[in-house]
Amino acid sequence: MGNTVASKAPAGSGEPRKLVKAALLSFPMVLLTGLMTTQGRLPSAAPALIAWAISFAFLNVLFFLMVYTGKTHRFRAVLFVVTAVCFVITFMSNLLAARGSLALTRDNVINGETPFCHLVIPMTLLPAVLKRTVIFPGAMLTGFAAIATMLVIWLGASLALGRGWCSWVCFFGGLDEGFSCIRKKPVIKNIDPRWTYMPHAVLLGAALTSTFTLSPTYCQWLCPFKAVTEFEKVDSFRTVLATIIFVSLFAGLVVVLPVLTRRRIQCGLFCPFASFQSFFNKLNIFDIRIDRDKCTDCNHCVNTCPTFSIDKPSVARGSALLSCTKCGHCVDACPKKAVSFHIKGTRAGLATNTARLLFLYPAYIFAAAIGGGMINGALLLALSSFRNLI
Amino acid sequence: MIQGLLLGLANGTVCVAYCAPVLMPYLLGEGRRIRNNFLVLGEFLLGRLSGYILFSIVAWLTHRLLLENLSRHELVLGVVYMLLSGLLVHYGISKPAKECAAGRSASILPRAISQNPAVLPLVLGFLTGLNLCPPFLLAFTGAAGSLSLAQSALFFVFFFLGTSIYFIPAPLIGAFTRFGGLRTVGKLAGFVVAVYYFYLGVVMLGGGIVTLWATP
Repeated sequence: MGNTVASKAPAGSGEPRKLVKAALLSFPMVLLTGLMTTQGRLPSAAPALIAWAISFAFLNVLFFLMVYTGKTHRFRAVLFVVTAVCFVITFMSNLLAARGSLALTRDNVINGETPFCHLVIPMTLLPAVLKRTVIFPGAMLTGFAAIATMLVIWLGASLALGRGWCSWVCFFGGLDEGFSCIRKKPVIKNIDPRWTYMPHAVLLGAALTSTFTLSPTYCQWLCPFKAVTEFEKVDSFRTVLATIIFVSLFAGLVVVLPVLTRRRIQCGLFCPFASFQSFFNKLNIFDIRIDRDKCTDCNHCVNTCPTFSIDKPSVARGSALLSCTKCGHCVDACPKKAVSFHIKGTRAGLATNTARLLFLYPAYIFAAAIGGGMINGALLLALSSFRNLI
Repeated sequence: MIQGLLLGLANGTVCVAYCAPVLMPYLLGEGRRIRNNFLVLGEFLLGRLSGYILFSIVAWLTHRLLLENLSRHELVLGVVYMLLSGLLVHYGISKPAKECAAGRSASILPRAISQNPAVLPLVLGFLTGLNLCPPFLLAFTGAAGSLSLAQSALFFVFFFLGTSIYFIPAPLIGAFTRFGGLRTVGKLAGFVVAVYYFYLGVVMLGGGIVTLWATP
């Protein structure tokens, strides 16, 4: 089963057989993304049709390239970053359409008009168990990003991908990843491994404080992405302070430190959801393994992992840490092809590309389901604005 | 008295939730055995009880003397929150550099606390006892109906007993501390909670000062 398009024929050789194989393997994704993005009916208006065609082609070209070249990370990263940028654009436009303003007012909170975000899920669990209440001021079933909708998507993706969510589905992570790719070489190289415990600490602190205040304290005080999504109306000393904190955290954790370290600092060293999501890697059947027979201990994987999910002891053990986001960076970077996607219960180093393909299908379906709509929405906005201009 | 006990039993889970952000990081960070954790819990609860009793007296006097002045009330709470955050930060940084940081910590905290770290749970408990969590406010309302200060204090003592039952499982967290990483998590979580209390303190102080300034 280990015979693959990529491993049998090197990338770029242009053999017709390889192309046909890649096309055949990509065809199910063409059908699925077609169904997901059109919901069975092509858009009739010209701008909508153009936007759909571009996003559909973009999604499928990337998947085809993943299959054809055997490389995962570089194409995933493109989709991930584009999705995050388009998310910010569409989110803001949706908020403007739904509420008339980006600023969150007290009335919006009381009326449950706050879009639900997956980052808050772990903080809502303890209050839900202890007080039987959902502490997030959003709508349960109706409106944009309703709580139930987001929970269903999250649960499905978590079971299918584990912490793969953080590199394939999360619409915030691409911002972090985008900035981490800007420099060719890191300025800061040595990061104390103790900082990798920080997401667990933020999760513990945020979960406990959320429980006693019965409010999502992480969203209220610590979320860096508030700086680029919605923000509380700045009308008091508290909201001024909160806004300064959001902007500072975004600048530090999502922009400056990722640029300087070439790592996803927010995702790897701060995000409480990342800590929570790591436990789903236990339930998930896919993981990353290191074939000790091929490994030369060059530590290339350790140095490239964007979320600090491989360290020297884990290389020696032959597997990535529980925090692995299955982004494929280490798999692509290994010069000896010792690192690979793996299905639990099978022998490491066997059928590696089959395992990779079996992971890619569900991962890409979720990535396309989330990203497709956002890319389409952002393109449509751009096209409509352009048409209005001329 | 029974009313206080019942109120405590009914609201104990919220009390645990309120005090857990302070207590849990400490228990995790210390990484002691379960038996020792019970001692820490005992100290913490004793501190909390002292806070309750003191607060019942202070609240009674405050109510009389300051006539529910909300802005000043916020100023006091703001200072308490900032003190609590300072203690948590001190706890987080004092252990790794215990020897060399001893001199500096003495200038931050009273000498008695710096030289006897075992007193810290007592102080943390005392400071959480001074905070106005929702069940505490309920107890305050109940105690306010009492005829004398002694009755009011007894109400608080029984309220404390009712809520304390829910703290009994807390020391079992010691069973998890054999995982070395959890100590680091506990220490870092202490920082996170400290940052949160610091925010609250700054907001309350700042808001209180703005209100005082705006009030003619």
